[in-house]
Amino acid sequence: MRAPNRRLAPAFVRLLWPMLLFFAAPSIALAAEERLQLFVAEPYLELRTGPGRGYPVTQVVTRDESVDVLFRRTDYIKVRTERGVEGWASVRDLMKTLLADGSRFTIDLGDRTGFQTHRWELGAFVGDFDGANLVSGYGAYSINDNLKFELSGSQYLGDQRSGWMVDAGLTHVFAPEWRFSPFVSIGGGLFRVDKDAQRPNLVDRTDQSAYIGAGARFYLTRRFFLRGEYKERVIFTSRNDNEELREWKVGLAFFF
Amino acid sequence: MESRSRILLLVLLSVNLTGCAALKWPWWGDKSADGELVAAEQIEEEENTAAPPRVIDPEVERREIKRPKIDTENFEIGGYYGVLSVEDFGTKPAYGVKASYHVTEDFFFSADVGRTTLGLTSFELLNPGADPLNLGNERRLTYYSLTFGYNFLPGEVFIGRNLAMNSAFYVMGGVGSVKFANDQKFSLNFGAGYRVVPVDWLTVHIDVQDRVFESDVFGTNKLTNNLEARIGITAFF
Repeated sequence: MRAPNRRLAPAFVRLLWPMLLFFAAPSIALAAEERLQLFVAEPYLELRTGPGRGYPVTQVVTRDESVDVLFRRTDYIKVRTERGVEGWASVRDLMKTLLADGSRFTIDLGDRTGFQTHRWELGAFVGDFDGANLVSGYGAYSINDNLKFELSGSQYLGDQRSGWMVDAGLTHVFAPEWRFSPFVSIGGGLFRVDKDAQRPNLVDRTDQSAYIGAGARFYLTRRFFLRGEYKERVIFTSRNDNEELREWKVGLAFFF
Repeated sequence: MESRSRILLLVLLSVNLTGCAALKWPWWGDKSADGELVAAEQIEEEENTAAPPRVIDPEVERREIKRPKIDTENFEIGGYYGVLSVEDFGTKPAYGVKASYHVTEDFFFSADVGRTTLGLTSFELLNPGADPLNLGNERRLTYYSLTFGYNFLPGEVFIGRNLAMNSAFYVMGGVGSVKFANDQKFSLNFGAGYRVVPVDWLTVHIDVQDRVFESDVFGTNKLTNNLEARIGITAFF
């Protein structure tokens, strides 16, 4: 019984090598980049040791001095001062700094404006799929404020039946500027049955499916919003009858 | 006769007066030239009313200011290795991959996929060679989870006199599924972890989680608690 244990270690080592190469790449690529320079216009700019308000302020940059922008993590930006000191400044503080041409520095913030206009969305759901538990994740690309192209993957896990679904579809948000905004969706994809207690000898386990749905999004705070939806799904089975299934789900999503 | 000469004089006078404007008087200086220009412009304007107005092209080269893009590093991806204790099946090594997205300084989403092998049940230990669950060589357990985390104790670790690394203690909870013994189960997971960031793009983390799911492998439905402890390395990009 020891054999499977031994196999685990090499598998992990094999996994590690490409990962190490992957990790080394970004640090090399960063070296030659041109950096954005910002000038402090307030009396001073606070620099923290880490990207968060919990990390202490250890440096300040005084008025008219400049900082070079290194990279952003959540709502903090790592900067380098003229003296070569590195630290993290909050995006809100940096929005009070000036660019080289004297104009104010602007950057997107995760707020209500971002909820209305953003490029990407990601989220996770739980719900009910025809009596089975449903776990689902989705990603969406905004074609414009109203129209989104979505990809989603779901797994349904029930006593009678379990399997998974992948879908691509379009979602139309009626009033993206509202905190509570309803939407409708349409799309299709693949429907897979891994276990079916009623049809244990099912031959064709993967079918095409299409759905229409409706739901709503509710902006919570920062980059988060709640999303709930209902989908009516038709499975085009290779049997004589098509199946119609109902899907409810609620989840938490964020935009960026 | 008188009337004739008067008419002649009046005609001469009128001719002279009308011609005054056309004559260049020395004391008028440049004014007459201006008058000519105005007249010329009027003519030009009359000509131009038919054709579209000429657009003057200012030969100024526009300076294009390119603002360097700010690199956003909120994604984290990597692998982990640890142990997973599967209720009734003992504890075995587990490994997998994990990806996270840091939404704000406080919250993050993560997704992980992992695998372990099932150990022997008590029955199998007492009866070597027996396979009551008919598992054969299918002793593999695969799981995934979608987890939401909260960094609630950000801080620093100090190693020696000169080295300080950012760290955070976080709690997390999520949903997912577990596949083993020819069945798939919905699972809930919750736990806590500790993350140390030695360099900005690299993190080392230790997670301890409980994966809870209903299992009916032994004929009756029961809620099982499966503890997992693991250490992982991830990179930000």
